[in-house]
Amino acid sequence: MSGKQDREQRRQERIDAESQVNTKDRRTRLLQLGAGAVFLVIVAVVVLIVASSSGSGSGGDAGNLKEVSAVDSLVSSVPQKEMVLGEANAPVTLYEYGDLQCPVCKEYSEEFLPGVIESQVDQGQAKIDFRNFTIIGPQSQPAGAAAIAAGKQGRGWNYLELFYRNQGEENSGYATDEFLTSVAEGAGVKDIAQWNKDRNSAKVKEEVKKTTAEAVKFGFTGTPSFAIRGPSTKGLELLGTPQTTGEFEEAINKAS
Amino acid sequence: MKFPTEATLRRIIAFVAALGIGVATYITIADSGGGAPTCLAGGGGCETVANSSYSHIAGVNVAVFGILGYVLLLASAFVVSDLARFGGFAVALGGFGFSVYLTYLEIFKIEAICQWCVSSAVLMTILFLLNATRLIGYVGTAGAAVQGPLQPENT
Repeated sequence: MSGKQDREQRRQERIDAESQVNTKDRRTRLLQLGAGAVFLVIVAVVVLIVASSSGSGSGGDAGNLKEVSAVDSLVSSVPQKEMVLGEANAPVTLYEYGDLQCPVCKEYSEEFLPGVIESQVDQGQAKIDFRNFTIIGPQSQPAGAAAIAAGKQGRGWNYLELFYRNQGEENSGYATDEFLTSVAEGAGVKDIAQWNKDRNSAKVKEEVKKTTAEAVKFGFTGTPSFAIRGPSTKGLELLGTPQTTGEFEEAINKAS
Repeated sequence: MKFPTEATLRRIIAFVAALGIGVATYITIADSGGGAPTCLAGGGGCETVANSSYSHIAGVNVAVFGILGYVLLLASAFVVSDLARFGGFAVALGGFGFSVYLTYLEIFKIEAICQWCVSSAVLMTILFLLNATRLIGYVGTAGAAVQGPLQPENT
């Protein structure tokens, strides 16, 4: 009897031991699988991040416009008509000859002009008239025409500022129809069909060429270049490219 | 190292997953009306994030994937088996990895932060840690029949 009990006990112990080994094996395998999964996810996340950062990271991204609200708050309090920002009867007019593809114009629009807009345009002392001087490349012309067409719906400066803030690398081909349309939508152009019609019209295209020729005639060689007209100037005076907000303010005060 | 009991872990996982379902559902509903989630602290971060091209994958709002993940995690908390332990861990791991990627996008690509997305990322991180603890502590055990976790051999 006791021999049978012993055998039974030994058998049970063996089964227990085997099952413990099985459990341990299974546990080890599942934990290894878990560790493998962690490794895979780390690789996947790194690949995703690297892939997305090597994309159009430096602007020109139609699907991801930046600073829509910043542009809104900069120009929404100032009246605008066509490509002129400011009160229509402001005594001084500052003319900006720029190219939407030009990185220096972007810098001016972000660094220097906001100060002028706040201190003098907002107060009705001056208005800024943007004119296309398309010298960077083939996409500069459709971009300029797109801004003028937005101006016909009272969103010219929104377009200009939003374009600059989302500008891509010059001549990298980012200024596609999709990008231009995306900027128009972000700038609050209401009637996109009309905007499309306007920007492709001979009249608007001609205007881009005309102002470019004008800039060349003035002897401007780079963008942005500025000119000013006011009660104290002798007709149109060329400013060239002022280097600070202060120089702009001084020129406007002198012209007043 | 002392593990919390599996029942405790499962309860917390269920609670956090339910919170996650709430957050992800809110983002989905707010976005589906053509609008965007409202940032409680003000600012336009949520709108910027919701309107960016990254907010949808193949036309589906990423928050919908979030709801799916949280539902699976909630379900895994109600089952005691290795499948539930491993499945919960795998879903939480995927969700955590995806959250890391989305947070990267918010900071470096969209350049705007949406607090609802951050909340979801935090919840998913907590769920990942809880499910990892559950997996390490209890996978390969018989569940309810076993009182405590298996101890590592060298302890």
